[in-house]
Parts: sequence; C-alpha cells; structure tokens
Amino acid sequence: MTQSTGTVSREYERQLIGRARSGDRGAVRELVDNHKDRLFAFIWRMIRNHHDAEEICQDAFLKAFASLDTFSVEYRFSTWLFTIGYRVCLNRMRSKRTQGTDVDVLTLPLANNDNSAASLESEDAGRLKDTVWHAVDRLTPVQRATVLLFYRQEFSCQEIARVLELPVATVKSHLHRARKRLRELLESLSDQELHHLRNLSGQVG
Amino acid sequence: MRCEEARRLFDAYLDGELSPAMETELGAHRLRCPDCRRALALLEVTGHILESDEDPVLLNDGFSDRLLACMDERRSRWTHRVRRGLYIAGPLAAAAVVVMAFLGSFDRQVGVRAGQEATWSSLDGGMPLIEDAVGNPVPEVDDPTTQELDQWGRQFLDRLDTKRRSGESLQRALDGRILDLIDVLEQAEVSSGVQEGDSPADDVSEASSPHAGAVPDSGSE
Repeated sequence: MTQSTGTVSREYERQLIGRARSGDRGAVRELVDNHKDRLFAFIWRMIRNHHDAEEICQDAFLKAFASLDTFSVEYRFSTWLFTIGYRVCLNRMRSKRTQGTDVDVLTLPLANNDNSAASLESEDAGRLKDTVWHAVDRLTPVQRATVLLFYRQEFSCQEIARVLELPVATVKSHLHRARKRLRELLESLSDQELHHLRNLSGQVG
Repeated sequence: MRCEEARRLFDAYLDGELSPAMETELGAHRLRCPDCRRALALLEVTGHILESDEDPVLLNDGFSDRLLACMDERRSRWTHRVRRGLYIAGPLAAAAVVVMAFLGSFDRQVGVRAGQEATWSSLDGGMPLIEDAVGNPVPEVDDPTTQELDQWGRQFLDRLDTKRRSGESLQRALDGRILDLIDVLEQAEVSSGVQEGDSPADDVSEASSPHAGAVPDSGSE
C-alpha cells in the first residue's frame, strides 16, 4: 500500500497546517497532494463510482480547508479528513442509494497498465480478487468503512473510532461482524481457490 | 480447546492481541481442526488481499489544480457576498437607527413607558406633537438616503394617522409598521442583489454610496 503521508512527519504536517491556515497556497497544495489518493481510494471503495468519488473527495477537501481553524493538531490530518470524507460519502449514499451498483471500473484508467506477460495476472486471479472485493461490497456501509480503514489505511481502532465517530468497542464489534460476514460470503471458495488466493496475497504457508 | 472458544479468539489473533500462551493453544487447535483451520485461513487471506491489492482506479489528473481553482472561486464568491452584505447592511443599519430614534422620540412624546402598551389616549396632544418632534427640526439635506428616510418617516406618520382613524390599536399599528419595515428591508436586499449584477467588481465603487432599493416607498419629494 502506498501511503504518501507515511513519509510526512507529524511535526512537518503541523507546520503545513499552520501555513495553510495563514493562506499559504503551496501548503494547501502539499496537503492535498499528500492525502488525495488515499482519500479517493477509500471513497471509491465505499461508493464504487469514479465520478461521485471524485466529487466527494473534492467536497471533503473544500469542507476541511474551510474549517481548518477548528482542526486540532493533536490528531492526524488524515483522520480528520477521512472523518469529513466519510460523512460526505454517507450523505451521498443516502441520497443516491448507489451502494455498489454502478461499477464503472472498466471505463477507467487502470493503476497497472503494464500488459506484459510477466506482470499480467491470470484471469483466475482477477476473478478471485473480485470475489473478495464483491464480498466487501456486500457489507453494511459502516462495516465496509471499518474494514477499509483497518486494512487499507492501516488505521488503529482508536483512529477508526474517531473517523466513524463511534466508541472504540463499537468499532471492534463492527470489525468482528464484518469478518464473520466475509467468512460466510467466501465460504463457498474451494480449497484450491483459497490456496490460489494465498499465493496471490504473497502469504506463505 | 473447543471450536467455539477458538473462533472467539480469531479477532484477537488477527489483530495480534493474543498472549503467547493463548496463541500456542489456538495454534494447536488449528492443527487438529480442519474447519477452524480453513476458517482462519480464509480470514487471513482476505485480510492480505484487502491490504495488498492495488486500487484499480486512480484520481484523474489535475485534481489538485481543479480543487485549488474551486477554492479560489469560493473565496472570491465569499468576499463578494461580504461586500454585498456591507453594501446592503450599511444603508439598512442607517435606516434602522433613524427608525429607532424616531420611535424613541415618539415614545417620549406620547409618554409611553417601557413595558406598557402604547394607546391612542396616551398621545394627549395628538399627532401634531409627533410631527413637531420629528418634522420641525428637519434640516435641508442633499443626501438621498436621508431624504428618503425622512420621506418614509412622514409616510409612517400618515399611515399611523390612518390607523388611528380606522380604530386600530396603537400597539398593533406600530407592530404592523415594524413588520412592514422588515418586508421593505428584505425587498431592498432582493432588489440590491438584482441591481448588483454578476460582476464582483461592480460593488466596489457602490459600496460607500446609498442605493434607492434600501429605502421603502422612495419616490419624488
């Protein structure tokens, strides 16, 4: 997982926020560049529509910078940004009811455009991964958000609790239920498919 | 360890929160029980796929540029609104001050105390007293706003007199005029918005000058 903010220290991020508050355009751009891909990926995984995800992403940034004065530097900027993004996302999902229905992946640029035989994954592999992601799509929005933040963004349960504005115990409960549901949804995979997935994920054993 | 106990430990195991002793115990159960082994393997593999799979979509190029442009536009729109607010609020505040001063003067003249309802009988000397209080010392001024407000004040007195003749209570007549004033102020805001047009630069020169829309019933004097 690429996390551009991983290289940005908390202290430097505080400086950026301070400069952004005083209207420094360069600092605003740097904050946007540091977080936009992660936020977009999260929102796209939540809503599964490229156009909506980009709009929500933009809306989240606009809201975040409009109320930057209220941001407390004791938290990570990403936690705050994801909190706003999640709220905007939920509102959009409620109003449009587009939970995983309009999958426009095929018309969009792929992250990996290298079609060489060496890097091209087999159709089987792609199908198996899709099976996993489709199972994620079938989780409830809050379970999906919990899973995405935990696994893809590597947020701790405490950070997820802040983003979702829930108690930590509730977040753990959502994570538990999400795993249970995923297990049920993927139960039909054969041992061979499971083995294949294991190889794909690079897991040994 | 039974399967139920083992499955209760799955989350803690996946999150690395199991004590070494419990982890050993779960590991032993895993070796013995094919169902639990498969269930745990499924969770582990799913977790790894979720962590490592590449995102199939990317944010379109130029997102940051578009976002910054949008921020600039919003900032400009906000500045424009503030200017427009000042443009409208200035004359309206002046109008409100004059009206309040007028009403204060009226209350003193008719002897209405705070908390008491104004009645026609409290006028004593009648409308001429009010006109004396407001009308006599009006200096000649060139300022259109002052002239319009003065005109509004005179119309106010006329209407008050009409209300009196129609038998309406003084308090109700006053309340009605305040509501009228609110309507007029809202209309002034709307007409100001129309007048202002789409050019943000338009209001700069107009910000300090009064405009006709802010004052009710403006007409020839």
